Amino acid sequence: MSMSDTAALAATRGRLSRHVSFLAYDNFRYLKLALAAVAGSIVLYVAVPPYGERYGGGWAGYTLGTVGALLILWLTWFGYKKRTYDPERKYLQPHGSGAPDSAHQAEDPSRLARRLSAHVYLGLALVVIATLHTGFHFGWNVHTLAYALMCLVIASGVYGVVAYVRYPRQMTENRQNMTMAQLQAQVVAIDAELRRRVMPMDDAMATIIRGSLDNTPIGGSMWRQVTGHYPDCGTVQAIARLQAMPDAGPGAIDDTWRLLRTKLDEKAALVFRLRRDVRFKALMDIWLYVHVPLTFALLAALMAHIVSVFYL
Amino acid sequence: MEVDVAFLSRRGTAIMRRSQRASGERVCIGRGTDNEVPLNDIHVGLRAAALILRDGVLTIDRLDNSPLEVNGSLVDTAPLKPGDEIRLGPYRIEILAPPDGCDGAIQIETVQPTAGVADRLGAGLPIGLARTGANKRLYAWTGFVVITIVCLAVPIFVLSGGMLHSWHKGAPNATLPTLVGLSWNPGSFSNAHRFFAADCTTCHEGAFAGVADKACLACHANVGTHTPHGAALAALGDRLASMRCADCHTEHRGIAGSVVSEASLCLGCHRNLKEAAPAADMQNVGGFPNAHPQFRATVVADAAQNATRRVQLGGSPPAIDRPGLKFEHKVHMDTMNYPVLVQAGRAVKDCGDCHVAEPAGQGFLPITYKNQCRSCHQLTFDAVSLPWQDGRVPHGDDAGVIAAVWNDYAGRALRAGAAASPAPSPAPTDIQAQVSAQAAAALRVVFDEKRGCALCHYSTGDNGTWDASKILADALPPKANPAHVVAAVKLPVRFLPNAVFDHASHRGATCESCHTVAVAVSNGTERLMVPGLDNCTQCHGAGDASFHAQSTCITCHDFHHSEFGLMRNSVAGAMQ
Repeated sequence: MSMSDTAALAATRGRLSRHVSFLAYDNFRYLKLALAAVAGSIVLYVAVPPYGERYGGGWAGYTLGTVGALLILWLTWFGYKKRTYDPERKYLQPHGSGAPDSAHQAEDPSRLARRLSAHVYLGLALVVIATLHTGFHFGWNVHTLAYALMCLVIASGVYGVVAYVRYPRQMTENRQNMTMAQLQAQVVAIDAELRRRVMPMDDAMATIIRGSLDNTPIGGSMWRQVTGHYPDCGTVQAIARLQAMPDAGPGAIDDTWRLLRTKLDEKAALVFRLRRDVRFKALMDIWLYVHVPLTFALLAALMAHIVSVFYL
Repeated sequence: MEVDVAFLSRRGTAIMRRSQRASGERVCIGRGTDNEVPLNDIHVGLRAAALILRDGVLTIDRLDNSPLEVNGSLVDTAPLKPGDEIRLGPYRIEILAPPDGCDGAIQIETVQPTAGVADRLGAGLPIGLARTGANKRLYAWTGFVVITIVCLAVPIFVLSGGMLHSWHKGAPNATLPTLVGLSWNPGSFSNAHRFFAADCTTCHEGAFAGVADKACLACHANVGTHTPHGAALAALGDRLASMRCADCHTEHRGIAGSVVSEASLCLGCHRNLKEAAPAADMQNVGGFPNAHPQFRATVVADAAQNATRRVQLGGSPPAIDRPGLKFEHKVHMDTMNYPVLVQAGRAVKDCGDCHVAEPAGQGFLPITYKNQCRSCHQLTFDAVSLPWQDGRVPHGDDAGVIAAVWNDYAGRALRAGAAASPAPSPAPTDIQAQVSAQAAAALRVVFDEKRGCALCHYSTGDNGTWDASKILADALPPKANPAHVVAAVKLPVRFLPNAVFDHASHRGATCESCHTVAVAVSNGTERLMVPGLDNCTQCHGAGDASFHAQSTCITCHDFHHSEFGLMRNSVAGAMQ
């Protein structure tokens, strides 16, 4: 490997390790762009009134509507680009001949973070542009339906932004430098230990431990994953039952009781972390089940809105 | 007893079998290591069951509280024969034919995998929302298709399928198709159009067709056009001819109505109309009130020719008014100063004594001799030194005055003979001559420069002066179609015919607050009392005024003038 390749890769790795939030991407470039678009829309709305009250038609109204519709299509396009994103393609290979230019790569317009930053800020600008396009006239019709769907999509997107800013850090702190697989492996090991320890013990103890081994769920329905609420956790119940047992007994059983209790506590802590991890992931994913379907409903309503305006 | 115990385990298609012998009084099965058949699973009790020979038959007894299932039924004890199946915890125990030397043979197999497989945590319950069965793609397609059908396909079907019905008395609107049509309605209807608004196709012709003029003309067929027929308007005329109703009249913009009131619509043409169409004699307008030209009153130029001219208002002093009558407001308004006239009921108290508002209150009834003048100016000859009474000439028929006087005397002569009325000297030779002489004497008073018609009217002679001798030179006996004596008079009813001014909406103001009465009558010369622009702009301001009455072009001016004919005809047929 040549010196330039080594240096370039080091530079690439170094750049990759410097995290820049998608909100602050490229020095808030897309925030500025969105603010400029909003300002331009307000100026247009105020300065070019139609005859009568402002509404979706007239010179300014049609311009705002066209810009809004094109924005909606472009914002939807992000979904496609997100799904076709290939991290290998852009970063790890030298760009063109010779050493890759880190500045050039930072401006590579197909970087997903760039697209996401633009998507978020221009999506927020769309609220203003579309609201000005309505002229603040709303009714029970397909036009307001399109607007309402757009607002719901944007609202779910705002939740998504908040989730993407908050939960990754909380997930990392929860994992404490371990992977999910490592945590699971630890739980399985504790289960094996419990099974081994309780094998020679009486049936009462075996029943208690069995409850923990058989019925400690992680994951489940959408509701369960998002709330992180597992009311019938076998491990929690085993701990409770163990706690409720009378203290009397020969010394050997006391030691084993303490060991079992310790192992159950360890397992419980790990299981709670696993469930929290599942919960954070679910909270980061749940909004897309609103955002994406409503986007396509919005596209249909937008089509109906535009066709109806020109059909009649 | 001796029992052959075989442990079976399967891996794919491979089967491994491990045999051992168990002997004892009874063969115990359980989790505990002291059992003859130890089963290494916590789901099995410490000492779960025992195999014994009872009366020579291999029997199984349940020893603890964990369930024992033999051939599908829960039992406490059961005799066994080869082929029977026992379930104990996760184990399936099959009874086989005992080999030689054994009392029984069992085959043990695990049918439920022991908990402890490393990936159990992931394989059991779904982790990740994608595995819960929620499907973004399904939801997205469902939403897209449903909304396309409900919001696009169904309305198109309803609109083009003739399912919407206009209002008919006694027939209710179709409910569901109406609701479907309303889902496309972008704004509320004007009040006057609501009675047919349930049927969109009343105005909207069809797919992507817009609203054609003929939809409006179906009800509004007699709407007038904007310019006189044949007016030379060049490019502006083409522009006017190509306008659609919908260019100025909007719908779905609220209940208040559909006429565009913004001045900018009119100013598009009227801003430079003077240059674009000089023959129209229109000033340029840049707006109201700031760039609106001074008003010009339309007054009579020549009553006989029916000619008018326009006089600029707002001057100081106001422009002279020449109505074709020798009328002075000052004289009449001074009558209040003469107690004799006041007592006789012949004093003019205020404007309303002569200027009578028409029933709607917009303007005033035309001034006529009969309604306004006759009560004081009776065309009799009481005060004149002629020896007859109640001679009365008709008004408004100046040619008939001569015949009326002649007929009066002719009638007296017919009734009473020549001696009935005193004859002027010298004595006439015959009745006709006598009647002519009497008539001429009376007509000399009637046509006198300072009395009779001349009191109010100008004559048709030079400079409007009265020369009785000249008039009477060849007037008697009266001829058919004599020449007119009195100059034609035409009193205008409206001085600003190009605008619509409604006195009724200004009834809170007094006459003097707008009409420059004091100035007009101050020096005896009759002047126009119609106020100019400055008077109006005291109260009226621009379309967006805050402290003046908001006024735009159509506040005072009409676009459609029915007196110019039908707009439809001048618009080359209804615009498509």
